[in-house]
Amino acid sequence: MYQYDTLDKEFLADRAAEFREQVARRLAGEITEDQFKPIRLMNGLYLQLHAYMLRVAIPYGSLNPVQLRVLADIGRKYDKGYGHFTTRQNLQFHWIKLADTPEILDALAAVDMHAIQTSGNCIRNTTSDPYAGATAEEIDDPRVWAEAIRQWSSLHPEYSFLPRKFKIAITAAAKDRTAAKVHDIGLMLRRGRDGTMGFEVIVGGGLGRTPYVGPTIKEFLPANRLLSYLDAILRVFNRHGRRDNKYKARIKILVSALGAAEFARQVEEEWAKVGTVGDLPDTEIARIRGAFAPTAFDTLINRSEAFEAAKAADPGLARFARNNLREHKRAGYTIVEISLKGIGDTPGDATSDQMDVVADLAERYGQNDVRVTHEQNLVLPHVKLDDVPAVYAALKAAGIGTPNINLISDIIACPGLDYCALANARAIPIAQDIARTFADQDRAELIGELKIKISGCINACGHHHVGHIGILGVDKKGEEFYQLTLGGSGAEDAAVGSALGPALPADRVAPAIDILVDVYLRERAEGERFLDTFRRTGVTPFKEAVYADAH
Amino acid sequence: MKALTGNRLTDGDVVFWRAGEWVERFVDAELFADAEAGEAAEASAKSQQTVIVDPYLIDLVESEGLWAPLSYRERLRALGPTNHLHHGKQAEGGAAIEALQHASGAARSTGRVNLIKR
Repeated sequence: MYQYDTLDKEFLADRAAEFREQVARRLAGEITEDQFKPIRLMNGLYLQLHAYMLRVAIPYGSLNPVQLRVLADIGRKYDKGYGHFTTRQNLQFHWIKLADTPEILDALAAVDMHAIQTSGNCIRNTTSDPYAGATAEEIDDPRVWAEAIRQWSSLHPEYSFLPRKFKIAITAAAKDRTAAKVHDIGLMLRRGRDGTMGFEVIVGGGLGRTPYVGPTIKEFLPANRLLSYLDAILRVFNRHGRRDNKYKARIKILVSALGAAEFARQVEEEWAKVGTVGDLPDTEIARIRGAFAPTAFDTLINRSEAFEAAKAADPGLARFARNNLREHKRAGYTIVEISLKGIGDTPGDATSDQMDVVADLAERYGQNDVRVTHEQNLVLPHVKLDDVPAVYAALKAAGIGTPNINLISDIIACPGLDYCALANARAIPIAQDIARTFADQDRAELIGELKIKISGCINACGHHHVGHIGILGVDKKGEEFYQLTLGGSGAEDAAVGSALGPALPADRVAPAIDILVDVYLRERAEGERFLDTFRRTGVTPFKEAVYADAH
Repeated sequence: MKALTGNRLTDGDVVFWRAGEWVERFVDAELFADAEAGEAAEASAKSQQTVIVDPYLIDLVESEGLWAPLSYRERLRALGPTNHLHHGKQAEGGAAIEALQHASGAARSTGRVNLIKR
């Protein structure tokens, strides 16, 4: 992974020291809350319903075991023994005390971590493929480019006061695990006809109040021109973005208002002005690339007799292997997904002890590499097939061996009204209800890939618009109600779901999902996922079944 | 009936006004039958800048012979998150907590608008 240099380390230490002084001044009454609030937000510290919440950046979802152990320690010392992984590959602590935050920022800085640019109208953490460097599907390692973007966007003075927050995703595989098309900018690395690398540039996707799948404004941007082109996009946004109205301030509104073609034209015009001076020289890209050089893989055959024998003896391991392992680019290795969606658990929560277990496994079996997915799970990207039985046994013992990746109980849920000051309704208990309804793993596997995403308000941190089944919590005269949408996708076939019908009370949501699944199982053709069946049949059979008793 | 609440500056904990001081349990909160008295307390609370963040008045409803916040959001604040019942003030248990847990009353959430920016 990328290593901070002395300058980076000194900057983080200075920044933590500065915040220590600012907190002291706030506690002493030398600065008011109005003066302090923007400062604490710039350090990722929000005030939520029950306590302060600290959002820690995990650049492109990549961690080493030392960092993960520090997060575990912070959870243990300053929170209630856990942390919450988010849909932006970050980690949130929900029970933080203001007076403790200087200590926490020091602890983070000691392992090259921070909470800078996890809040505010700036460029946030870049989402990337959690399988980067491990999957054979990629044409390049997207972390190289994500790291270049991280360096470029960190503390960039021109982009520290954008019209609104700004999120970039980057993937180098055809199968999109980053929700690139619903980011402010989605970058999809392609190989040109002449063999050179370039990006398809998608701008103006987004969720929230006005969801859009972003249009492509450039089919093939030569990879080495990435940063100057991003500069051009950001400058057009900075020039025209609606700072006067936060509901119209995201770039998606601008792209929609101008039209993709006109927006692209203005970007091209700006790009010509920026010129190549805004680009990283090839030597710098090569330097960054060096930090992601593949670690030493053993030469193995793509079959492990020990693993096969263990699977034959343990149906639990066989099920885990079916659902949580993904093909690795190297023979004899596999990508292991760790579900943070235990049945009845809170999606994305990991206890400090569980984080320690994952860190130990990464050290012992996983080349010191841990990833966070935007679907709120963890990944050990490089595990030998021989070692999978030991890894599974340790995960299972720690309560994180749930074999449900991409299945109906692998649900995204935002913290919702249980924690969040913006939420209108709870999201977590709805996820727990649904997971319990489909606790039978045989049934879950029979249903196959089904992505349920739940948000507790229209800001859509739970990505409900792009759930195969999306659930949005709303406040109806003080009562929690839930609107269902069907047919969304955050993957390469991105789509915004369409509303099923009137909102349902909380206790009718899980039963309604059960009905939707029954309709799918009745209607599905060979090989169809829920999403495929829905796209073929349309909403009618689903709607009729859920609202049958209303007629 | 109203109560006055906010989050304590040092740790963000949910606290309630009682005669110029802040208490952690809702059951100990001062109740205002008189709107003017509540507003006077709120004004006084707003001057306690090194103690409290964004104090505001909440509406109450009767539950099992006790008072409870009318809005669901405020009951959650007074209790803790429903996914971790051993976290937050609810962990203490007892009749006063149960009365809050059993309370109902549909009302739009009060207060806390514009507190958080994403």
